Amino acid sequence: MLDWLKNINKEYPDFWKAYTAKFEKKSSRFVVFSTETTGLNPKNDVILSIGSFSVVNNSIVIGDNFEAVLTQYKYFHDNGLTNEFLVESKLKKISEPEALKSFLEYIGNSVLVGHHVDFDVDIINESLERMDCGRLKNEALDIDVMHRKLQDITDKESALDELCEFYKIPISDRNSAANDAYKTALLFLKLKSRLGIK
Amino acid sequence: MNSIAEQIADFLSDYAPFNYLAFEELSQIASDVKVVVLEKNQTLFQINDVLHDSFYVVSSGIINLSVISDSEETLLNKCAAGDIFGLRPFFAKNNYMMTAKSREETIVYAIPIASFRPFVANNPDVLNFLLESFAVNTRNPKDKENLIGKLISDNVFYSDQQSEMQYFQSLTYNLNPLKTTLYSSVQDVAQQMTASLTNNILICENDFPVGIVTDTDMRTKIATGRFPITVTVDKIMSSPVVTVLENVSLAEAQLLMLKNNVTHLCVTLDGTDKSLVKGIISEYDLIVAQANSPGVLVKEIKRSQTAKELKQIRDRVADLIQTSISKNVPLSHVFNITSEINLALLKRTVELSILDLGSPPARFAWLSIGSQGRKEQLLFTDQDSILIFEDVAAEKYRDVKDYFLKLGKKTTATLEKIGFSSCPNGHMGSNMQWCKSLTDWIKQYDNWMNTPGENSSDLSSIFFDYEIIFGEQKIEDAITDVIFKNVMKSTLFFDFLGNDALRNNSPLTFFKKFHVEEEGEHKDKFDIKIRALMPLIDGARLFCLSFEVKGINNTFQRFKQLSITDPKHAEIYLNCAEAFLTLSKFRTLEGLKNDNDGQYINLEELSKNDKEKLKNALAPMRDLEELIKSKFQLTQFS
Repeated sequence: MLDWLKNINKEYPDFWKAYTAKFEKKSSRFVVFSTETTGLNPKNDVILSIGSFSVVNNSIVIGDNFEAVLTQYKYFHDNGLTNEFLVESKLKKISEPEALKSFLEYIGNSVLVGHHVDFDVDIINESLERMDCGRLKNEALDIDVMHRKLQDITDKESALDELCEFYKIPISDRNSAANDAYKTALLFLKLKSRLGIK
Repeated sequence: MNSIAEQIADFLSDYAPFNYLAFEELSQIASDVKVVVLEKNQTLFQINDVLHDSFYVVSSGIINLSVISDSEETLLNKCAAGDIFGLRPFFAKNNYMMTAKSREETIVYAIPIASFRPFVANNPDVLNFLLESFAVNTRNPKDKENLIGKLISDNVFYSDQQSEMQYFQSLTYNLNPLKTTLYSSVQDVAQQMTASLTNNILICENDFPVGIVTDTDMRTKIATGRFPITVTVDKIMSSPVVTVLENVSLAEAQLLMLKNNVTHLCVTLDGTDKSLVKGIISEYDLIVAQANSPGVLVKEIKRSQTAKELKQIRDRVADLIQTSISKNVPLSHVFNITSEINLALLKRTVELSILDLGSPPARFAWLSIGSQGRKEQLLFTDQDSILIFEDVAAEKYRDVKDYFLKLGKKTTATLEKIGFSSCPNGHMGSNMQWCKSLTDWIKQYDNWMNTPGENSSDLSSIFFDYEIIFGEQKIEDAITDVIFKNVMKSTLFFDFLGNDALRNNSPLTFFKKFHVEEEGEHKDKFDIKIRALMPLIDGARLFCLSFEVKGINNTFQRFKQLSITDPKHAEIYLNCAEAFLTLSKFRTLEGLKNDNDGQYINLEELSKNDKEKLKNALAPMRDLEELIKSKFQLTQFS
């Protein structure tokens, strides 16, 4: 409850200071992101990969992206799981602290966008806490909330693929954090123009 | 690391000009791509907008490219997945000259010119492709063929920024006009003109045009006897010739002809009659330049030599239909025009087959049945036809039948190339069963009508909608006579047709919701052909046969005629006629949207208003059903 009191005189890592300093200005850049995790509990589960794109001026900037596969060796070891698929994967792997550090550098003060974004933000916050940082300061938009607002739905949550079908987004069969982020970005652009968000 | 960029590169590698590039290069380009999402009918850029710094590739959906001329929007082209547009910034600095608008929800990739340019410079294939495509004038529908798989130019006509661009296109005309001297005899000149099938000849002195002789001069001055046929040509030529510069525009040429009351303009090097002749523009060239008018299309069909040419023309008909509908031309007119064009197409196809096979050994008739027989074919639907040949001596029968089967096969094959898919039930003149002598056909109809239940498997009501395409009118008349002779005595036949008309479930459920497809590819779509149009078509045919209304095959006109023949129920018939048009329009629009036959309507895409309209159009069917039941004393159980 009074956590912030504990932290009031805490010395933060440099990259965190740089990150917080960016919030003096407001951003017009959106960062659409998606995470793959080991489960749905932010406290006990960890991030396996992050994929994200920025959206500027109503278009997705493919080049301005962030993609990372995290080496959660500790988690796998602690839980007695095999990590062979991670070892074998050809994608570039980096450790969690390093990944989060570059992710924060990448997002800066942008507005975050995701599908059920609360969970993604929570699990990132948990990781940040392990690194002695504070919580994410970015504004975050949830496309499912936007969808419900647009369609006047109050009682039902929709999965990402359901939303894609509803808004006629071509679904690719590939599944990864980057693909989810891309789909989310397309949905976000549609919802954004329909809701009239500048 | 950027897996989406790789996927985009993968997508691009399927299409020209990207297929000329290596995958690494494409990945590099793809990482500079911006993805833009367009809602239905959203404008990406429009005429006179400042150039964007990118060109575009359609990822999914459809983009319509159009120009505004005479304050009307003229559709230039549709871009589907993989097509490229908006190339202007590559080559020119002035503003956009066309409008790009999404026809449905669309995703496009914007590729920055700056990042693509190095690849253009280093790769001649890519450069050529872009240049070629940019130079193509897409307004000329004949070029459509060349555009398949290529990208779409936004270079419209001349580079002046006129709003009436359509009229500022340049003309194509005869660059090698017939020429003769002042002292040739009229007879020689006439022979020369006849030999080269033209209606004009230029009279030149030292290669400068001094006069022109046309068919009109021949008619008014020779045929009337004012001059003898031996006179020299300078006596009858019209002089001086109206001369123009090269690159004259359509509008200018039209004005000059009207002003000078002439039918030909002579093109010279400097536009005066004191310079070299470059060509001649006739009224015909002007008409051709105005492209897709039905008359011109029919004329061109008559001159076509190959299935490919005919296919191009049929594609232009699709454009014509689309423009007509968007301009709110009444659908019954569109039906008429399209069926006339289709008729010409079919006729020409049979002609081409005959040209190939040699003249037929007996008289025959090629009849269209089904939708073309009813003159209701707007979209590409399947071809249904039958072939009837006159009775021949028994010993010749085999050869004759052989010839006509060959003719049937050839014709249906050509039609398939043109785009009429073959009938899934095999109702075609190429089928042994439907290529028979007149006697056999009369027997066939007799059988159908007197004992309809017995071999009903091959009785289809479409055999009662027919129209002659080619051959002897008398044969068609003979069939008509047989049908109406049998109608008098056959109540069984009406029972059969009546039940046939009623067999389809009603289009609306008990709760006034649409009966949609429950499973399969078209799940949740509304089958407008089977559930809405067929009952009306069947009903109209049934009543026409029973009232002996001859010679009208069109459903709309059948209902109109019925309202006169059977005034007691006129209201029902007229409602059905209107409903039929409304429903056909829905189908046509759906078909044009999806480039298919429009059988399945996607209800989700309809506005609330349109849905109500569709529902209202289904209402008269119930009355028609009741009328059928009472008139032919059918019960649900018969």
